[in-house]
Amino acid sequence: MANARRRNGLIAGALFVVAGGMVGMAFAAVPLYQLFCQVTGYGGTPRIGVSEKPVAAGDRTITVRFDANVNSTLPWKFRPAQKEMTVRLGETVLAHFVARNVSAEPIVGTATFNVTPFKAGPYFSKVECFCFTEQSLDPGQEVAMPVSFYVDPEIHADPGTREIRTITLSYTFFRAVGDPGGTGKGAAGTDQNLLSTDKGSTRLAIAVGSIGNRIGKR
Amino acid sequence: MAYGASATAHDAHEHIPTGWRRWLYSTNHKDIGTMYMVLAMIGGVVGGAMSWFIRLELAVPGIQYIDDFQFYNVLVTAHGLIMVFFVVMPALIGGFGNWIVPLMIGAPDMAFPRMNNISFWLLAAALILLVTAALIGGGPGTGWTVYPPLSNAEYHPGPAVDFAILSLHLAGASSLLGAINFITTILNMRAPGMTLHRMPLFVWSILVTAFLLLLAMPVLAGALTMLLTDRNFGTSFFDAAGGGDPILWQHLFWFFGHPEVYIMILPGFGVISQVVSTFSRKPVFGYLGMAYAMVSIGVIGFIVWAHHMYTVGLDVDTRAYFVAATLVIAVPTGIKIFSWIATMWGGSIRFDTPMLWAMGFIALFVVGGVTGLVLANAGVNTAVHDTYYVVAHFHYVLSLGAVFSIFTAFYYWIGKMTGRQYPETLGRIHFWLTFVSVNLLFFPMHFLGLQGMPRRIPDYADAYAGWNLVSSFGALLTALATVLFFYIVYRTFTAGEKVAANPWGEGATTLEWTVESPAPFHTHEEIPAMGRRQPAE
Repeated sequence: MANARRRNGLIAGALFVVAGGMVGMAFAAVPLYQLFCQVTGYGGTPRIGVSEKPVAAGDRTITVRFDANVNSTLPWKFRPAQKEMTVRLGETVLAHFVARNVSAEPIVGTATFNVTPFKAGPYFSKVECFCFTEQSLDPGQEVAMPVSFYVDPEIHADPGTREIRTITLSYTFFRAVGDPGGTGKGAAGTDQNLLSTDKGSTRLAIAVGSIGNRIGKR
Repeated sequence: MAYGASATAHDAHEHIPTGWRRWLYSTNHKDIGTMYMVLAMIGGVVGGAMSWFIRLELAVPGIQYIDDFQFYNVLVTAHGLIMVFFVVMPALIGGFGNWIVPLMIGAPDMAFPRMNNISFWLLAAALILLVTAALIGGGPGTGWTVYPPLSNAEYHPGPAVDFAILSLHLAGASSLLGAINFITTILNMRAPGMTLHRMPLFVWSILVTAFLLLLAMPVLAGALTMLLTDRNFGTSFFDAAGGGDPILWQHLFWFFGHPEVYIMILPGFGVISQVVSTFSRKPVFGYLGMAYAMVSIGVIGFIVWAHHMYTVGLDVDTRAYFVAATLVIAVPTGIKIFSWIATMWGGSIRFDTPMLWAMGFIALFVVGGVTGLVLANAGVNTAVHDTYYVVAHFHYVLSLGAVFSIFTAFYYWIGKMTGRQYPETLGRIHFWLTFVSVNLLFFPMHFLGLQGMPRRIPDYADAYAGWNLVSSFGALLTALATVLFFYIVYRTFTAGEKVAANPWGEGATTLEWTVESPAPFHTHEEIPAMGRRQPAE
């Protein structure tokens, strides 16, 4: 009896450990998922800040279009300064977006980004971008937000992406989670960073990209 | 098994607790199984009533009864969650699993009887929380998949979704404890001579199901916790504004959700194997193939989750992988279908009620499986995504698959459980009425889906009117069949014939038929020896 009990206990104990491990895996999926997107360019996630690598500028060109969106809870106007650019592969170029706060209060916003077609993600590298940090705009303030990027010439060596002639770079500005009067989540005034594990890991990934300067705030 | 020596230590305590103590404090696998079945019946009536209300609204175009569309969404959500967590799972796993598995493997009870008790009462509490959720703060109108951003605080600000999340947490904990109990029982407490390869297929099916629960449920729990903190504590796991990604929820949810659909159908496979074998009076064809087909369905079930997410923007190679992996599931499933047919082939078949249900299951499950193969293709799926074609598909495998297997098990084992046999004629009428009505109800949904009628919308274009009316008539007939079922339960208890230990004759070779009917409060206190009853099937 005691023997059988012990064996039952051992098996049940092992199974509880497995179940606990699966909960851990679910939470591990959060940083892993983001890391996975950063590394593979999955879902059109561009590569970030790998400017050290010298890339030979070739003769071939590609068209980059710009797309700007604002979440409905953020009273900003946001548009690209140029609709599209024709860039040489491997050449680092600078583009601008223009954002204006149309409300009567200072607001902090943050932008998410990706490129389409998604498969172009691994070949689209951002050297610097306003989207790497949160942006703060005073009432009525308008700023030009720069992004510098290049398209890896390898894009036309890869048979899967060889046919791409146009890449669309898209941004969506949201009210930053910590901003008072934001999406209504959390109690205003609590330290969001303590709780915001997810955002923390995003920041970590950005720190790896070694870019941290606030560009938009003059 | 060392357990054998211990049984006598329990001695002949024929003490049976009485009154409410017998049920609230129960540690007896049969009583707990009975309570699970009662819960499933209550859940079935509640979830069924919701679906009939939905069909009432959808009978003709325009808005008839439900002018609050959030309420319609709540109905759809609650119907789905109740049917999954509070009908199919408690009936097949908690109910028949608890009742029959210890009897089949020759164990006196489950390995952890008190844990068994808490599993049940957690589930009862979860049902109360879920119904509460539907009644407060506008209810959770998120669908059973609870996708953010719809389930975020922004779009569901009230406490309803939080209640639903807590309900699913409790239901998950209940299933997890139950799964650990089943695995330990099956691995440790089999009668001497019953090796894994001689276990009845129903026991195999519960074992595989329990492993799926063990691996899938904690992932749901993790994802639900993230959603809960997103909603209440300012995190942004699934909120793009804070650097999160709503698609991550879909990955986590479906990593649980796809194994979950096999959790619902695998025990049904086990039931059908027992019944087809019994009523064909032959051992099941290809026993090992059947057992390992279930194992491989379970394994593959964990690597196909993104076929629920073809439209989120996966790249073409990823979709190609998930299409291929999904189609592979047809192979072990085909092995099962053909083995059931081969079991019947050349058998001396008796068309009693359980066999009718089992054959109905096989026929209708094949229909659901074939539409599953259609949906597995990313290209086709993009066209019929979120249409009634999908609704038709999963109701054929669940409502006509899993539920048919529940009825099969009911008619097969009710004599063993109550000592009284169901009325045969009424049972057959119940089968034919259900068979016709559910097909009337769900088959037209294929046509509606291919024509593009979207799911989860309380109104539709006039062009869809004809088949929707047919479908709603089917729902009405299904309601009648349900009333008939409860009458049959009543007749069984009040006027059923007393049955012998084995009413099914030579085909029924598993151990539960060696104990008297009704199965006494304590069974297998002396461990049965398997001897040369080989194979168990």
